[in-house]
Amino acid sequence: MKKKYNTDDSFLLRWIQGKLSPEELETFKKSDAYRQYKAINDESQKLSGPDIDVDSAFNKVRNTLNTRKKETKLVNLKLAIGVAALLIILLGIFSFYDKTYENGIGKTQTIVLSDGSEVILNVNSSLSHRRFFWSLDKTVELKGEAYFKIEKGDGFSVTTTQGKVNVLGTKFNLKNWDDLELSCFEGKVEYKSNVPNSKSNILSKGMKIIDRTDRITESVFSNNSPSWLDGRSDFENKPLYMVLEELSNYYNIEFNVDGIDTNRLYNGSFVHNDLELALKSTLSAMNIKYTKQQDVYILSSK
Amino acid sequence: MKKEPSVCDDNVFEKLFRKHYEPATRFIYYRCGNLQQAEDIVQNVFVKIWNNCSKIIYSTVKSYIYTACNNSFINEHEHKKVVLKHQKNTKNTANNESPDFLIEVEEFRVKLKEAIANLNSKEREVFLLSRIEKKTYKEIAEIKGLSVKAIERRMSKALKQLREDLGKHIKI
Repeated sequence: MKKKYNTDDSFLLRWIQGKLSPEELETFKKSDAYRQYKAINDESQKLSGPDIDVDSAFNKVRNTLNTRKKETKLVNLKLAIGVAALLIILLGIFSFYDKTYENGIGKTQTIVLSDGSEVILNVNSSLSHRRFFWSLDKTVELKGEAYFKIEKGDGFSVTTTQGKVNVLGTKFNLKNWDDLELSCFEGKVEYKSNVPNSKSNILSKGMKIIDRTDRITESVFSNNSPSWLDGRSDFENKPLYMVLEELSNYYNIEFNVDGIDTNRLYNGSFVHNDLELALKSTLSAMNIKYTKQQDVYILSSK
Repeated sequence: MKKEPSVCDDNVFEKLFRKHYEPATRFIYYRCGNLQQAEDIVQNVFVKIWNNCSKIIYSTVKSYIYTACNNSFINEHEHKKVVLKHQKNTKNTANNESPDFLIEVEEFRVKLKEAIANLNSKEREVFLLSRIEKKTYKEIAEIKGLSVKAIERRMSKALKQLREDLGKHIKI
């Protein structure tokens, strides 16, 4: 039998946080790997980062500020503080009143926004926007994946941690679980990465971009709507770990991936309503064996 | 509602600086290995915060700092080797061991530092934030703006890589 620390990716992570059960720890202590990992962990924790002189850094920053601010700083200090305080309070009030929609694993929902736009929010995803005065600045924040049918009007935009999409009456799908993937199904959308000084990309119908932070690739497709709306996830040359992550967004399951190479590329699709079939069409197709132990699927090469 | 402190207040600004300057600088340093560059980036971020102080909400300053540091770092490409030190109090821990053993430990430490420096920068950053700065995966995920799963993946890759590089130097 293979040792557990080799088959279970979370095992090491739990060990290093001191979260193994006493029995697990006992077994682990008997292995050679334990000595090695323990030496690495013990010695790493004795390391320290560079010494940093906060005082001199602060003086440096303060000097920069003094030379720049002197002229204007005294004039309207009271007024500025008053305005700033008011701004902070107002911003504070509005940022407290966000409206958030959230989906758990395997759940989807359709949201109709106050301007009539429709958002179909995919599994394990969330969408939030300002509760008040939203129509003045139609921005929504997305985590995960959603399909947007936006009414014609001014300045609708979607933000994610990785980039921003500006829209003018269109239908598009935006997915940001790992890489960001934007597909345009109607009209035009503009995408701009959050990396400063990056140029924006304009997409029209049938165009798709993938932003991997370090590079953006453009391609074309021919579907009329995203495949997940038909109860299916499609993959084209995607690393296996993304496929597994997406599987666990639709089905409440976990994988032990240490027996396999999760960087191998996968082409194909899986359905959302039949776990066995989904596992067959992904894992079996890649010659990966899976056995279920308690709640975890252990993967190994055939 | 409780009124938030203003970032434009000299004392508030100084407190924020003293609290966040060091961890933020290390955070950048673990990635690029250039202390001068890391300090410059973080100092510029604080100058920016002061200049825009009326627009920045006190409670979001921390995430603002890390996002701004992340972004400025992406623009600068110079990478150097990360140099780590041992804490001063670690020397006495093995007092009762033989000189041979002490030499082995010393050699191992040198190799460990080397192996950490050779890690992929994304994995090294997560490993050091976890082991030296004692941050949880969730905290690292927050300052990096990534999912906890992504952080865990990097951490476990780092551990396995270190074992692969160092395993043969550890006497069983």
